[in-house]
Amino acid sequence: MKIEVHHVTRVEGHGDIVVDTENGEIKECRFEVVEAPRFFEAFVRGRPYYELSHITSRICGICAVGHATASLQATEKALGVELSEQTVLLRKLMFHGEMIDSHVLHTYYLVAPDFLGVGSVIPLASSHPAVVERALRIKKLSGDVCAMVGGRHTHPVAMAVGGFTHLPSEVELRAMRARFVDARVDMDESIALFGTLPWPEFERETEYVSLKKDDEYALIDGTIVSSDGFSYPIEDYRKVTNETCVPFSTAKWTHHNRDSYMVGALARFNNNYDQLHPRAQEAAAKLGMKPLVTNTFLNSAAQAIEMVHCIEDSIEIMDELLTRGIKPETPPEVDVRAGEGVGACDVPRGILFHHYVYDENGICTDANCIIPTGQNMANLNADMKALVPQVLDRSQDEIRLLLEMLVRAYDPCISCSAHFLNVEFV
Amino acid sequence: MRSGTLILGLGNPLRRDDGLGPRVVEELNRRGLPQGVTALDGGTGGLDLLRYLEEWVRVVIVDAADVGQKPGQFVRFDLREARLLARNGSFSLHNAGLGEAIALANALGRTLPEITVFGLQPKSLDWGEGLSPAVEAGLEALLDAVLEEVKGDDNAQDSGD
Repeated sequence: MKIEVHHVTRVEGHGDIVVDTENGEIKECRFEVVEAPRFFEAFVRGRPYYELSHITSRICGICAVGHATASLQATEKALGVELSEQTVLLRKLMFHGEMIDSHVLHTYYLVAPDFLGVGSVIPLASSHPAVVERALRIKKLSGDVCAMVGGRHTHPVAMAVGGFTHLPSEVELRAMRARFVDARVDMDESIALFGTLPWPEFERETEYVSLKKDDEYALIDGTIVSSDGFSYPIEDYRKVTNETCVPFSTAKWTHHNRDSYMVGALARFNNNYDQLHPRAQEAAAKLGMKPLVTNTFLNSAAQAIEMVHCIEDSIEIMDELLTRGIKPETPPEVDVRAGEGVGACDVPRGILFHHYVYDENGICTDANCIIPTGQNMANLNADMKALVPQVLDRSQDEIRLLLEMLVRAYDPCISCSAHFLNVEFV
Repeated sequence: MRSGTLILGLGNPLRRDDGLGPRVVEELNRRGLPQGVTALDGGTGGLDLLRYLEEWVRVVIVDAADVGQKPGQFVRFDLREARLLARNGSFSLHNAGLGEAIALANALGRTLPEITVFGLQPKSLDWGEGLSPAVEAGLEALLDAVLEEVKGDDNAQDSGD
């Protein structure tokens, strides 16, 4: 039996699935990344430090804030720039906005159609209008909070080295806070919806890698931890990622303690459950989830739980900002010097690293960006190889759909990783 | 509550003539627009274009499109007169566009604004900046036609709902 899916749909970018079996034996089973390489690391070289977050934000139209945040962090560490508490709070708020935006896009637009028996969000709008209206409401809210803090929805203009060039007003914050409180209804409905979906049964335990902090659900900075018991400062990220090239993929593969590891919402949920907001833990209980969850398909359910967390934590951040009052700060003067820095953020699809070297004039001389989807490629392939033998008795169409759903469970951002989707059963 | 007219330029300026929409927006803003008329660069926005269809009484879309003309020549049509190809089945987020946004609005039973499209035939959609000479030569006539289209469109007080 040969199954080939060229350009898997409902993902971001282009990748192919190739499966070839003979007499129940797997001959070929892989996920190929056919997206063209992007070369971002090459074209930031020679650029001044204050341009890098704006350039690398363009790696992704979904995780622009995540890239900008990791990028600024790397630059600030290299140049010894300290952040005010207000800046830290505003960055967290914006990061939550993007996390919700990305997760609602994936869970509602890309994953839900698989379970509700439609091809895309457009027929879903006819068959389940209330579901799509809710998704659009959540998406608008998350986009609006990003615009309030960052100056616009995507590719934040107000985020600068050391601070913000524009600040939200207390009136805007108060109005936004009220909308986040109202969004609790949509969160409850979301968890109820995802609780009814028939997630495919599939267990394969793997190594889960994420950031970790003692005092909060780690999304920006922290230490790198693995469910196999390893812990590293973020500067040692290469000890975890060990990038290698494979012939059929423009996304590099990574491995750490095993042949592969997994990053993303499920890895964070497994490693950092204790730091989730109590309402998010309640949501997890409603979905029957408690670590260690080893069904890859439930990565999307973990995203729904994270949406609840981000809504609640955003409310608390806005409360704190309002209590403190918005101070009219401007980004500090940067004392330009030679330096090297690593930034790490756990963005919607998993742990992201930006690593820069600057010369004495603040010009970037070397850069390395390691994107979550790339880190998940080897693990996705391992999942495919484990899943296919379990479902060989099913029809080719069923197998094809299941493999596409497995790929989508990772929420792959293929263009970003290529340096990554179509399914080919050959 | 809807108000005003939006001129929405669509496209990617890094793909030669696909950058027509953003270029038209830039030129119109330089020339100045009648009160109540706004020109925005919609870039390559996908389903997010939906919000532009909800806030305005009238939307004039400018885009490079295969309209069966010579490069640089344009066609003006109302949405009622043409069908934009929407992928109703599966699609990747990298190829969702205006057609999908309108299909989604229709599926949700949303009231659409009055939509007029100016589609100009491109010559080159290769990688690179700048319009091809043929499209550049057709730009002036297109700008005049778009401005003529919105002249007297001071409908800021109207409500389309």
